[in-house]
Amino acid sequence: MENVIETRDLCRYFGDEDVRVKALDHVSVEITRGEFTAIIGPSGSGKTTLLHLVGGLDNPTAGQVLLSSTNIADMSSAALSDFRRDHIGFVFQAYNLIPVLSASENIDYIMLLQGVAATERQHRVKEMLALVGLEGLGNRRPGHLSGGQQQRVAVARAMASNPDLILADEPTANLDSATGIALLDIMRDLNRNHGMTFVFSTHDQKIMDRAQRLIHLEDGQVVRDKSK
Amino acid sequence: MLFLKLAWRNLFRNIRRTLLTVMLISCSLAALIISDGTIAGLVEKMENTIIRTLTGEGQIHHKDFMDDFDSDLMINNPDRVIDGIKTKTDVMDYAPRIMIGGMIASSYNMTGGLIYGVDPERELNVSRIKDALIAGEYLSGADRQILMGKRMAELLEVTLHDRIVLTVAQVGTGETSQELFRLSGILEFGPREMDERFAFINLATAQRLIASEDGVHQIVVRFRDPALAKNREHPLYKSLTHGDIEAISWLDFNPSITSIIQISNFVTIILGGVLFFIVSLGVINSLFMSIYERIHEFGIAKAMGTTPGNIIQLVMLEALIITIVSCLLGGTIGYLSSSWFSVYGLPIGEFEVSGIAIDGSIKTKVLAQQFVLFPTYIVLITLAAALYPALFASRIVPAVALHGLYKGLYNGKCD
Repeated sequence: MENVIETRDLCRYFGDEDVRVKALDHVSVEITRGEFTAIIGPSGSGKTTLLHLVGGLDNPTAGQVLLSSTNIADMSSAALSDFRRDHIGFVFQAYNLIPVLSASENIDYIMLLQGVAATERQHRVKEMLALVGLEGLGNRRPGHLSGGQQQRVAVARAMASNPDLILADEPTANLDSATGIALLDIMRDLNRNHGMTFVFSTHDQKIMDRAQRLIHLEDGQVVRDKSK
Repeated sequence: MLFLKLAWRNLFRNIRRTLLTVMLISCSLAALIISDGTIAGLVEKMENTIIRTLTGEGQIHHKDFMDDFDSDLMINNPDRVIDGIKTKTDVMDYAPRIMIGGMIASSYNMTGGLIYGVDPERELNVSRIKDALIAGEYLSGADRQILMGKRMAELLEVTLHDRIVLTVAQVGTGETSQELFRLSGILEFGPREMDERFAFINLATAQRLIASEDGVHQIVVRFRDPALAKNREHPLYKSLTHGDIEAISWLDFNPSITSIIQISNFVTIILGGVLFFIVSLGVINSLFMSIYERIHEFGIAKAMGTTPGNIIQLVMLEALIITIVSCLLGGTIGYLSSSWFSVYGLPIGEFEVSGIAIDGSIKTKVLAQQFVLFPTYIVLITLAAALYPALFASRIVPAVALHGLYKGLYNGKCD
């Protein structure tokens, strides 16, 4: 299978020489297209840090993050923005959406950045809303949507740019169990039926149960990498 | 378009803060418009008080006459100068004058003063001597008529028709000449010096008194457009200045007023500078508060691929919208206030500027530049001030913003 992204000896240290925290220590992983992977581990194990580095939101202290043989750590600020826009979709734990834009506008936003034509954007927005089961709610602003609905909009937005990889950082953490399961089912369907690649950072057993692959981190190192 | 929409909506997230910022900018602009209008009105009032009341907009005289008002320094052939004036269509009218220092005595008292010999008919279009008349009659050209300021009349303890004796030195010989007059009118110009020291008699009488035949000391000119008088390159000044005779603008023979005008322009610049500085700080403060509240959101936006340039564009658009709304509001407040004061006046009481008594009220001037230049400056200053917070926002590191760690403690570097 084709690698979507690969890390080689990835390190991320915080603090100075005296008080150095090794958030990630020589982590090498490969994510292939179509995976539904969960990065798991206790708090402070480096899950979110790994997700941020893979998504180009942070720069590594050492090591490489490779996308089609290009090390994104070497990219300029503007090139990193373009990389995120075109290749990565993000779903965060909470407060994901731009509050002054409606659900439709939030989904539209990323396509506007990509320079997609207006008619195609409108079509895609409707399509994405339908995929996450939010037809008819496109005009609502985030404040008028439930937490679960907001996360579904976030998933729709993450997919709208047709990215290579969707990174989800604790997407169910602020949702009740039933809403969390519904959201995960949507993402699992998108993975199965549309070939979307998902990587989660999570403590949630529900996600672990559904993931095809579990990467277990402890103290910034991969201690287990198990495919089901 | 999306960023414009986003910027517009962002301003309504904290309406109170946006309103306070708008009020700060708009009130500063309104204050600047009113101040500039007031200063322009004050300058105009000074010009009217001093220049159009008596000294005229332009003068032709012997080039050394203004140094010490030596009565020997005359225009001996005024007809030639007057013929030159008549060829200038920009000139509304002119008035030849004699100006002599002399003793003015009544039966009870005496004082030194400046005696003007004037052509009563011509003065009607050039000066406001007749307008200043508060008692008696204006000069008719008859012998022995004299007008004097109210304060001088009080000093000499005279009333209408009382006898006044003028004692002056004759031109050339310096011999003393004396004549008896009857007080025909009392004047009140306003400025203390004019009401205390000035007296007016008919031109022919003055010429006879100082034995000058046809000579005059000055010819005062009034232009159809007062602004032309300030043009030192005007053909009138150029063509009539030759030999010992000079033709000059009031800017040159009233240097104190010219200085005051220059100072008033400087005051506007200082005031504008202070207001612009306050506006800048207000805008920077407001935008920084707004940015700090949205750091997580900027992190999300950058994670999605929003470039630093997009972020700068967004913050600058927010500043631009605030400024445009503020300028519209401030311009309206400034226009309405200044217009009201231009009709009803700004009560200022009585005060003196460089010895010039200004009393009553100042009618503000509503000028186009106040509504073009000042808002333009405000927009430019605000955008310049907004650049700092915009750059800050553009450099927000997404990972740090998403962690909620944005307090400058993070040593990571991404964008």
